Amino acid sequence: MSEGISHSYSDAQILYVSLTTGEIRKETIPDDLYRNYLGGRGLGVKILYDRLPPSIDPLSPDNLLIFSVGPSTATSVPTAGRFTVVTKSPQTGTVFDSHCGGYFGAQLRRAGYAAIVFEGKSQRPVYLWIHDDLVELRDASEVWGHDTAKATDMLLDLTDSKAQVSCIGPAGENLVRMAAIINDKHRAAGRGGVGAVMGSKHLKAVVVRGTKTVAVADKERLSEVVTRSRRLIKKNAVTNKSLPVYGTAVLVNIINEYGMLPTHNFQEGTFNDAEGVSGEKLLERLSVRTYNCFGCPIGCGRISRVHGKEVGGPEYETIWSFGPECGINDLEWITEANHQCNLLGLDTISVGSTIGCAMELTERGNLDSSLRFGDTTGLIKVIEDIAYRRGLGSDLADGSRRLAEKYGAPELAMHVKGLEIPAYDPRGAQGHALGYATSNRGGCHLRSYLIGPEILANPVLLDRDKTTGKADLVILYQNLSAAMDSMVVCRFTNFAWTPDMYAELLSAGTGLDITGKEFLEIGERIYNLERLFNNREGFTTEDDKLPARFSQPLPEGNSRNRVSHSDELLPEYYRLRGWDENGRPTKATLDRLNLCT
Amino acid sequence: MDLTVEKLAKMIDHTVLKADTKRSKVKEICGEAKTYGFYAVCLNSVHIAYAAELLADSDVKICSVVGFPLGSMTSTSKAFEAKEAVTNGAHEIDMVMNVGALRDGNTDFVRSDIEAVVAASGDAHVKVILETGLLIDEQKVEACLICKEAGAHFVKTSTGFGPMGATPHDVRLMRETVGSSMGVKAAGGISTFKDAWRVIEAGADRIGASAGVAIVEDFRWAQYSDSWMEPDKPCWTCPSRKASMAKQPKEVYLWYKQRCVTCEHRDDNVFYD
Repeated sequence: MSEGISHSYSDAQILYVSLTTGEIRKETIPDDLYRNYLGGRGLGVKILYDRLPPSIDPLSPDNLLIFSVGPSTATSVPTAGRFTVVTKSPQTGTVFDSHCGGYFGAQLRRAGYAAIVFEGKSQRPVYLWIHDDLVELRDASEVWGHDTAKATDMLLDLTDSKAQVSCIGPAGENLVRMAAIINDKHRAAGRGGVGAVMGSKHLKAVVVRGTKTVAVADKERLSEVVTRSRRLIKKNAVTNKSLPVYGTAVLVNIINEYGMLPTHNFQEGTFNDAEGVSGEKLLERLSVRTYNCFGCPIGCGRISRVHGKEVGGPEYETIWSFGPECGINDLEWITEANHQCNLLGLDTISVGSTIGCAMELTERGNLDSSLRFGDTTGLIKVIEDIAYRRGLGSDLADGSRRLAEKYGAPELAMHVKGLEIPAYDPRGAQGHALGYATSNRGGCHLRSYLIGPEILANPVLLDRDKTTGKADLVILYQNLSAAMDSMVVCRFTNFAWTPDMYAELLSAGTGLDITGKEFLEIGERIYNLERLFNNREGFTTEDDKLPARFSQPLPEGNSRNRVSHSDELLPEYYRLRGWDENGRPTKATLDRLNLCT
Repeated sequence: MDLTVEKLAKMIDHTVLKADTKRSKVKEICGEAKTYGFYAVCLNSVHIAYAAELLADSDVKICSVVGFPLGSMTSTSKAFEAKEAVTNGAHEIDMVMNVGALRDGNTDFVRSDIEAVVAASGDAHVKVILETGLLIDEQKVEACLICKEAGAHFVKTSTGFGPMGATPHDVRLMRETVGSSMGVKAAGGISTFKDAWRVIEAGADRIGASAGVAIVEDFRWAQYSDSWMEPDKPCWTCPSRKASMAKQPKEVYLWYKQRCVTCEHRDDNVFYD
């Protein structure tokens, strides 16, 4: 990287907000922090690692909750309107970053901020109101208790109709470990229980109105690179056809065809009624229009009409979690359940998967409940009970791992590190399986989306059954994701762009003169720091494992007779990472990455 | 293989041959050819004059298909189309061989058909599309030899509209047959840099693809991992896997499938890989 950088992001500020004392202070981003971690996920993880003592209760005032954006946010870089929430997760106990689209991120950056770090806990419900340089904590007693849509409307009335609201619903208020933060009523920082951390701090919402212009280092060069980057998005079949036409739900039929659509709590990989809940069916029956996040030329978001009202979504993962995972083939009901989760502020992946787990617990006699695969009766009420921690809902609210442990069958929870595994059966794609096992935030499909090369032939088709070379690619994708999340841009750009394109966009926008290799090295540094955080919290190689179910062959479908070989790949993965046999980064690795701990 | 992004681009004929091609698309791919340094643009003959206008100040060559995609029109009409394309600015002609005549064993007609186009094309290089998916290996070899005798400069695998498309097997066979004095162009279904890599390794020195931009841009991934180039299951690139009863003559289809029965990789032909 060059010396003497000149970049607009360097004058963005980090807001430190003490919810305990009400003190608010502003600091500029230290130069080395920016160079080594960019923003977004990297910035948040670095702050968290440096400031959080080990072993604190994630729902205690000791935890930090960090909202952050990146050096590309609110510029002309495509998809650069997202924001990141970083905290210690109450669901996994790991470091956690959760991401959200919409328009909030762009306004936060336009207000002049790179991040907000919430410390402590307020005595009463509050929200943070930011209008450019004005930053104040305001009483939220009137808003507390309301769902996310009502709360959003109330907060816009109280502030500015052009502002953006990120808020929690009843689930966050009631410390549900699967609680999300909702922006624009249906965009979610969904995973890991970040909404519960917000609720534990009595923080109902962050409302922001940013009106400043975001400058870039080289406007002309950025314009040229952006033009090329947009052309690549338009030339790519996934980003120009599949996602804009069907949304992420395009994956239902594809993944089902490969026998990897987890069905009945991952007992099978093929759902007989997949066509009925597919992206194609969603387009024919419910879709009203697409939804584009800030600066996004793809437009994967959906607005659907169900039961007379327009609602957001549903996304592929949600269709899966409330559909095949629970044996349900009613697309209208799935869409309604998704809407319910948005209102209550719940992560649809974990909620659906936990209900699926409860259905199997019931089926096997471990749990006495009315939950049955394929039966939607009373399920909307169950989702509400989760958000309010009522009855069985209180058990479900802690996620599938704790639920299955409580009812004596921990092997029935399909999770890694406590986070429910999403909508791709790992037995059908060996690289993707290793990605699940080694994800720093638990069962996550986005850390290393090897579904791209292993299923979608993007950028090339690789043998999904093969293990050779997969550890190397998992690391490549994990590093790239960490860097993208810190830049901050949408993961879907990855279908069309190589690391070189991200580096070019970043260089033109910020003046940091970096190559694709250096961009990946930033991602590697972030990934290793996250690993250090988790090691410090007591996570070991034992936590880099998939549930035992994935060592049993799938019984049917186009992935039948396959098992996951992620355990066999771990030693190679650790070696290539520069970690010891216990999964800890070696001193040489830390030195190479300038990670002085 | 010592291949760079720039070298790869110089092997690509950036192609658009669809019936619904608008002038804006022609303009787009001509612009991309200049930006990426592709060897040529490959177009239907109706677009050649416009492309010549767009590429007047560049070193990007212009290639026109002729008798496309069936190759079953008269030699006179093929020659006329080729001559007009060259007059309008084409530097290369990609003609479709008369596949039916070859299957009839009418090699004289096949040869004269090609000779007519070669003569009408003047200094322009002529590539002959064999449409390999409609032929068995013996016929591909025969066709290559006829092309060589008829004075063509390249043999080319496929139109992209017929069965199977380009396979490394066919490219290798064609290269072995024509030797180093002729070019071999692989076209049809080449959509990723790994597809391109495979046919180059098999002996192709030109690639026809509508996905030229993706092939070149995505090739940048290669510098970040060797794993992309891990060998695939043998069946993936084998023409026998791609054979289709619906698209091929029955005896051609059965010829391909018969190869599976005695193939050393038969055990790799697993269920839904």
